Amino acid sequence: MLRLWSLGTRSALPRCRALHITAVNNAVAEAESSTAAVSKWTPKSVRTGLIARKRGMTVMWDSYGVRYPVTVLQLENCQVTANVRTVREDQSEYHAVQVAASDRPAKNVTKQMLGHFDRAGVPPKRIVKEFPVTPDAHVPVGTTFSAIHFVPGQYVDVIAKSIGKGFQGTMKRWNFKGLRASHGVSVSHRAAGAIGAHQDPGRVWPGKKMAGRLGGERTTTQNLAVVRVDSELDLIFVRGCVPGVDDAHVMIRDAKKKMTQLAQHNHAKGNVDKVLPRGLVDLPFPAGTKELAKALPPVIEAPSSRVSDPFVPRE
Amino acid sequence: MLNALRRCAQRLMSTAAQPYPYSNAAIIPPPPAVPAPAPTKAGKGLMAHLPQRLLTPEKLQLLARFGKRHPERILPGSVLQVTTKYAPTSFTGVLLAIRRRGADTSFLLRNVINRTGVEVQFFVCSPHVREIKVLMRAGGRGSEGRAGPRMRRAKLFYLRDAPDKMTAISAGMRK
Repeated sequence: MLRLWSLGTRSALPRCRALHITAVNNAVAEAESSTAAVSKWTPKSVRTGLIARKRGMTVMWDSYGVRYPVTVLQLENCQVTANVRTVREDQSEYHAVQVAASDRPAKNVTKQMLGHFDRAGVPPKRIVKEFPVTPDAHVPVGTTFSAIHFVPGQYVDVIAKSIGKGFQGTMKRWNFKGLRASHGVSVSHRAAGAIGAHQDPGRVWPGKKMAGRLGGERTTTQNLAVVRVDSELDLIFVRGCVPGVDDAHVMIRDAKKKMTQLAQHNHAKGNVDKVLPRGLVDLPFPAGTKELAKALPPVIEAPSSRVSDPFVPRE
Repeated sequence: MLNALRRCAQRLMSTAAQPYPYSNAAIIPPPPAVPAPAPTKAGKGLMAHLPQRLLTPEKLQLLARFGKRHPERILPGSVLQVTTKYAPTSFTGVLLAIRRRGADTSFLLRNVINRTGVEVQFFVCSPHVREIKVLMRAGGRGSEGRAGPRMRRAKLFYLRDAPDKMTAISAGMRK
């Protein structure tokens, strides 16, 4: 089986530690198209993610006739606004691709952000987020992403703000069991019960689980399979549920556990077949753009993840 | 040496023939018959348009019959016979409820088999459902099946506790 990424030479990447956010003051924009050659995906590369909108859920049937729920995510003019490169005190580097989505009327955008978008050559946007990447995965500023970026059959992590539930009690918020429904319990069936010991320690521990605001916070759903990609409408169909309300902005990136981690580990062990999920050969690198989408079929679907027909009884 | 040459030839042939180079197991479905209307690109009316993009024309026609505004819509209280690909290959029953969710639309059929009430939920767009035949229509317009009384409810769950009404329906079928 041809694996283009295994043919390339192993380049010594600069020491790139665990990727986390640092001060913007140190950030220096990446040089535009310094390398002439088109970069290829390697098992050590981490690609950028995209920002999409959760449009809703529907259902699909696979080739065996098994029904599975899908969430429909749509890209809304998702473009690159910056390439971030920060050198930390210990000389390790942080690289990231800053992505923005959903055009916004200029009159509703601050002057500072208008200048930022102007510099990138993109129309003003509603949401701007960055995705940590390896240094070879930078994308030219102004590139418009397409749904083709994700390959049907791969796994993604989807990050969004969860639905707000307001002020909630301990049973819903922390899965407390409450008290009995009868047998003398008076007026406290859903109460939390005791919140501490006695004179020792004589106080309530900090962080004691109590009632409070639930939801409306950043939540990641991991390892969702991409089942269908539609580049005409820029739709990504993922199997399962995704946090957030309909039309909420979501961040989609390659699954850390089932894609990035497995690729690196299996490449180090030499298991060439297990580097990518079953059926996958390569990933669009550094990103799936509108230009790439023109050369590929408009709709691509993943085969069933099952091995055998579940409706035919086994011998 | 010979192996390397063979692999080289395979590689050239595979990249030329493969329309989608990132996965060798991907399915490329035929392009949709109707192009997507422009507002769906911005998300307006996208979810309502999706069944047209995901389903075959036969399934869309079947789905329309379970809608609310089709002239020959199937009403609850009708007696339907569903033919499926796997067991049970055929099931007949009274339509108790239609759950309308676009592509996920389903309906509930109830029958009494060997003095046991049996209810089966069928999904209209499932590839297992081959054919839906109306044996008795409950008051709607159309020519399929015999005419039956119109039900005054959308959900006929009260039939679970009324065996005499179930027998009356089956008697009406046999007459």
